[in-house]
Amino acid sequence: MTLRNTVFGVIAGVALVGPAWAKPVIGEAAPSFSLSGADGRTHALSDYKGKVVVLEWHNPECPFVKKHYEAGNLPKQQADAVAGGAVWLTINSGAPGKQGVLDVAAANAWKTKSKAASSAYLFDPQGGAGRAYAAKTTPHLYVIDAEGVLRYAGGIDSIASADKADIGKATQYVPQVLSELAAGQPVSVGSSEPYGCSIKYGS
Amino acid sequence: MSSPALLALAIAAISPASTEPAIVAADYLDLALVSEHRAFVPGRPASLGLRLRHAAQWHSYWINPGDSGLPTRLEWTLPAGWHASDIAWPAPTRFEVSGLYNFGYDGDMLLPVVIDVPADAAVGTEAGIAVEAKWLVCREECIPGKAILHLNLPIMAAGNAPSSDAWRFDATRRALPEPAAWTGSAWLDGDRIVITLRGDDLPEPTGLDVFAVQRRVLANAPPRLRREADALVIDAGQSDYFDEPPATLDLVLTNGSARARQVRVAFVALPNASTRSK
Repeated sequence: MTLRNTVFGVIAGVALVGPAWAKPVIGEAAPSFSLSGADGRTHALSDYKGKVVVLEWHNPECPFVKKHYEAGNLPKQQADAVAGGAVWLTINSGAPGKQGVLDVAAANAWKTKSKAASSAYLFDPQGGAGRAYAAKTTPHLYVIDAEGVLRYAGGIDSIASADKADIGKATQYVPQVLSELAAGQPVSVGSSEPYGCSIKYGS
Repeated sequence: MSSPALLALAIAAISPASTEPAIVAADYLDLALVSEHRAFVPGRPASLGLRLRHAAQWHSYWINPGDSGLPTRLEWTLPAGWHASDIAWPAPTRFEVSGLYNFGYDGDMLLPVVIDVPADAAVGTEAGIAVEAKWLVCREECIPGKAILHLNLPIMAAGNAPSSDAWRFDATRRALPEPAAWTGSAWLDGDRIVITLRGDDLPEPTGLDVFAVQRRVLANAPPRLRREADALVIDAGQSDYFDEPPATLDLVLTNGSARARQVRVAFVALPNASTRSK
């Protein structure tokens, strides 16, 4: 196949299925992004070089997201991560008009109400950052180390359910990864299948 | 909490003498525990099922839910010595929203189970069965729910008659994937997984859909299907969460009209020469 054919084939594929899905690779450089935040600033992944970064895909109306906020699990994970020197970015990739899409005022009101302790709340209405990470569910979590290498992609914890009672019985993956990174240990679980609601991407 | 029914805990209460199953109304989903027959017979397996009636445009999930979602789960409370099988999952439907894929059910359908009734079950008494169902029902948005459903039926020595729900069990049996006597193998081809099936009565690729029972193996987007000589070739993406090949992979093939089929294939290091040369 010629290069020209290859390029044409890729473009034709994209036209058929919408924006391309990437498959993020654990142990390789995390995809870059630059998104506007509810704090009025633009946040690029490259801004945080030298720090561990957690990405959390979010839809405030998804029952699986509510499970972990109402039980205090995500706020505590965020507060602990930030206290440990990490940056926690909450990202909403819902397309305009879809369930759970927030504007700046609504995002800030939601952060207060839900006691969110993340570093910033970012808007991804085109879904480009979400698709670059192959983010599929809310919640969907990623951990990027201080060198910009993706070290974890997957679910928030090990028990796929909407039941708050399961949180205490489950392994919470992000705190585990963060403590392993801080201790200079290998990451024991670098990938898991996420569970939750589908991200409400535009077509 | 915006939705008072976010975790609807509904308890169906029926009078002990009734054999009509009570319908529990949850958000966008009605449920009932139903029986194929009006009574239990000692030593005879009994067919029960969870009837799910979805509101238009809403769906619940197969054993492998796809990119999101949760399979419906059942937890039984049975008389001592009785035993419930796992759900016999009917062939699923593929739902697509903005490039994400889910596998499940819509409309009015049944998740069947078989209850083993012990040979010493006391004839002339009544058996009380309860099941706690947990589900997730979604359109684009999702609502989890749980309910405890009850069914009380007499234990009779003989003369068991079909219930008013018996036809649902007949219809559901036709929707259960039938094991196929095909031979098949699967192997890794770069970031793809290629599966070949050979045997009698292989379905044509047109209109066919293929689902993997196991999670974290195939990508959830529809696979590419083609015929190559005597083989049906299934060319699928790898799951984003693929670790290593399972020893075997169970596939369900359905075209929505003919009987769905199920086949188990083994992963092999290399394909056999006749297909690989293509």
